[in-house]
Amino acid sequence: MSRVRIALLSITILALAALLFAPATSQSQTPQASPTPKPGGVLNMMLREDLSQGFSIHETATISTVWPAMPCLNNLVLFDPLKKTESVDTIIGELAEKWSWQDHYRNLVFFLRKGVKWHDGQPFTSKDVKFTFDMLREAPDAPAKLRINPRKDWYANVEAVETPDTYTAVFRLKKPQPSLLLMLASGYTPVYAAHVPPADYRTNCVGTGPFKVKEWRKGEYVEYVKNPDYFVKGRPYLDGLKYFVILERGTRQAAIQAGKLDVSFPGETSKTAAEQLKKAVPQLVITPFSQNVADNIIMNMKKPPFDNVKVRLAVSHAIDRRALIQAVQQGGAVVGAGLAPKPWGFWGLAEKDLVGLPGYGAKPADEKALARKLMGEAGYSRAKPLKVEIVTRAIAVYVDMASFVINELKQVGIEATLKQIETAQWHAMATRGDYQIGANLTGVGPDDPDANYYENYACGSPRNYSQYCNEEVMKMFDAQSQELDPKKRLALNFAIQKRLEADAARPILDWKLDYFTVWPHVKNLIPHQSIYNFGRMQEVWSDR
Amino acid sequence: MKTYVAQRLVIALLTLLGMSMVIFALLRLAPGDIVDILFSTAGYVSPSEKQAIMKELGIDRPYWVQYVDWMRQMLTGDLGKSYRYDQPAWQIIRPLVPVTLELAALSTLFAVLIGVPTGVISAVRQDTTLDYVLRLFSLAGLSMPAFWLAMVIILGLVTWFAWIPPLSYVSPFQDLKLHAVQFLLPALAVGYRSSALIMRITRSSLLEVMREDYIRTAWAKGQSGRVVIWRHALKNALLPVVTVIGIEFAFLIGGLVVTETVFNLPGVARFLVQAILWRDYPIVQNLVMFIAVVVILSNLLVDMLYGVLDPRVRYGG
Repeated sequence: MSRVRIALLSITILALAALLFAPATSQSQTPQASPTPKPGGVLNMMLREDLSQGFSIHETATISTVWPAMPCLNNLVLFDPLKKTESVDTIIGELAEKWSWQDHYRNLVFFLRKGVKWHDGQPFTSKDVKFTFDMLREAPDAPAKLRINPRKDWYANVEAVETPDTYTAVFRLKKPQPSLLLMLASGYTPVYAAHVPPADYRTNCVGTGPFKVKEWRKGEYVEYVKNPDYFVKGRPYLDGLKYFVILERGTRQAAIQAGKLDVSFPGETSKTAAEQLKKAVPQLVITPFSQNVADNIIMNMKKPPFDNVKVRLAVSHAIDRRALIQAVQQGGAVVGAGLAPKPWGFWGLAEKDLVGLPGYGAKPADEKALARKLMGEAGYSRAKPLKVEIVTRAIAVYVDMASFVINELKQVGIEATLKQIETAQWHAMATRGDYQIGANLTGVGPDDPDANYYENYACGSPRNYSQYCNEEVMKMFDAQSQELDPKKRLALNFAIQKRLEADAARPILDWKLDYFTVWPHVKNLIPHQSIYNFGRMQEVWSDR
Repeated sequence: MKTYVAQRLVIALLTLLGMSMVIFALLRLAPGDIVDILFSTAGYVSPSEKQAIMKELGIDRPYWVQYVDWMRQMLTGDLGKSYRYDQPAWQIIRPLVPVTLELAALSTLFAVLIGVPTGVISAVRQDTTLDYVLRLFSLAGLSMPAFWLAMVIILGLVTWFAWIPPLSYVSPFQDLKLHAVQFLLPALAVGYRSSALIMRITRSSLLEVMREDYIRTAWAKGQSGRVVIWRHALKNALLPVVTVIGIEFAFLIGGLVVTETVFNLPGVARFLVQAILWRDYPIVQNLVMFIAVVVILSNLLVDMLYGVLDPRVRYGG
């Protein structure tokens, strides 16, 4: 063989080797639904902490339960796992084959699937639907009661749940509420089995879902196996799921990097962490999406000085949202008002619409000058500054944000000291109103105005920590809830968000983004507009 | 000897009784309880619902009733039910115990295997380059927190080998090799720190003994260095070393929190911290009592070893 031929052959072999062994280039930013799914395989995933109330989704408001418990259960309807947008148009049937609004959105009729079995072999019927939703709305004749019921308010408009036959369930509403369907499509709304005491879900899971619990080793892992009797033929694709409890953040990141885990945890990966991971393992697929969690300021309106709207507005004007996003979130958040803005959410005000609202002015110096003027009008000055204690949870993401806020407030004559509150005390303190001002995080289940307003801004709601109560705004909440025309509803929502910011009801500082990370072989796991709604795993497959 | 052991057992029981009171009181003094935590996961608090759950869990009763109830349960071998998991505490604690015991034992073994020989060499070669190098090695061990070393090991493994140890416990009966790998690295991380302490104690103790008359006599009799050092000097220098080893082992039972967390080993210490955060009284109380028992037993064992190592030590009577 001539030297030239040897050289050519060597180059060809080297080129082929380079092609074979070079790291795969990054996939598209969003994992695409593949037309040819492959069955089999087990997905390894992470949990930041053990399941807080077992599989009892209805008794918690934390992603640490919803994410690992969702594969076991089903809703009546669910946001399509293959679509990242969550709206009425992307809702698909789960236990309900079809549904229909009747009597001008006052009756919601569900036609249930036949032949569905619970994991213990019992048949699923409309009795289970009535059991679940009577329990959730705490109907006087409900056969069971939840120990803790954080979303009772979601069903305040449900007058009755009727079951004309074994496979039909009718939700009779007090007034029209089209968005009820969106709340029913949230990961927070599974159907429980009527023959299983609700308390049992804290230790085990009898669901109808695509996966059955194989083992829950406390503090260690939760393991699922495929449900062979699942009512959707050919699903799930995976043979199993395993969620490892990994308390240390560095270990979680190392486990993803080493390929021990296939998927990150929703809400886990910051922009900085994502960039580090991508640098270390270029083939990882990283998808930015909305956590549907907002940094915000809560101010106790029942006590001075924050019963004075001028002081509240001064606080709101003082905080430079864009600087906060850069300094604290390293760019991993977006500005917005009461609801997440597009494209991360559907209902939120766009940045151009925020101009003119407190704290969103183009020039932070002008905003601070306005804040100082308002403080002066409220009777405070450099000689007589307002001294307050700002409370926050003793968790890094809260403390970082609170520290930034304190510095901003100092510039307008508000001398704030930080008080960190342990998690065990935080909600009790906030619900009691035992504070002046606080730096808070609020997560919203589905990206829907009703779920957010009635929970966080409505008169008397236990999660309305600022104790904001405005009858006029309550009427606006009801009006948008009952509005059937989507465009009109959107316009009403814009008006509400502007009003809430103008009242400094709970100034929103930013909407946090997550950088959901998966290995390229993980297919059909598509992050939604909310971290709480895409954990079913029915459509996910592994292309190993 | 029997009298001595009996006395020690009585003292041990009194210590445990004192410990039980301290841990019971400390837990109740900490702000918040399990019900506050449960509500915090739901994001709201309802005073009436809170009262109902407190009643259900029995934490609305007077403290002394709760304490007596716990003692009564312990005496009958019933550790109560975990508030968080709604399962018998023993079922949850049982799998954690062997993990921590094995890790502590392995760490102590590494500490002894590294610490004693290096201490001896350092003492025998006092003020030589080797002595300085070994002292530097031990100083580094004392200065490096175990959690930092553990994290460096994990980051090093993932950066250079794209590999980290298993994420859940691997039983030796399931896969012996993987089990060994899983425990080897954390045990080395912890053992290195403990070895530094043992090395320094061994060195100073041995240096002291080497200056004794009977060692000079042994040298004068023409005995070999090995016999003098290992048979005469080291045996007499070991008493403080054994004490330190005992203390280190006892400390490790409850002090492996960060190592277990970084290496994701489901042991007692890692779980204990979670249980404290959740105010899961039955789990915390019983795990602390378990740690106390191990500490007392290891101290007792050390005392017994004194008699074996030094026949001049006699007990009781």
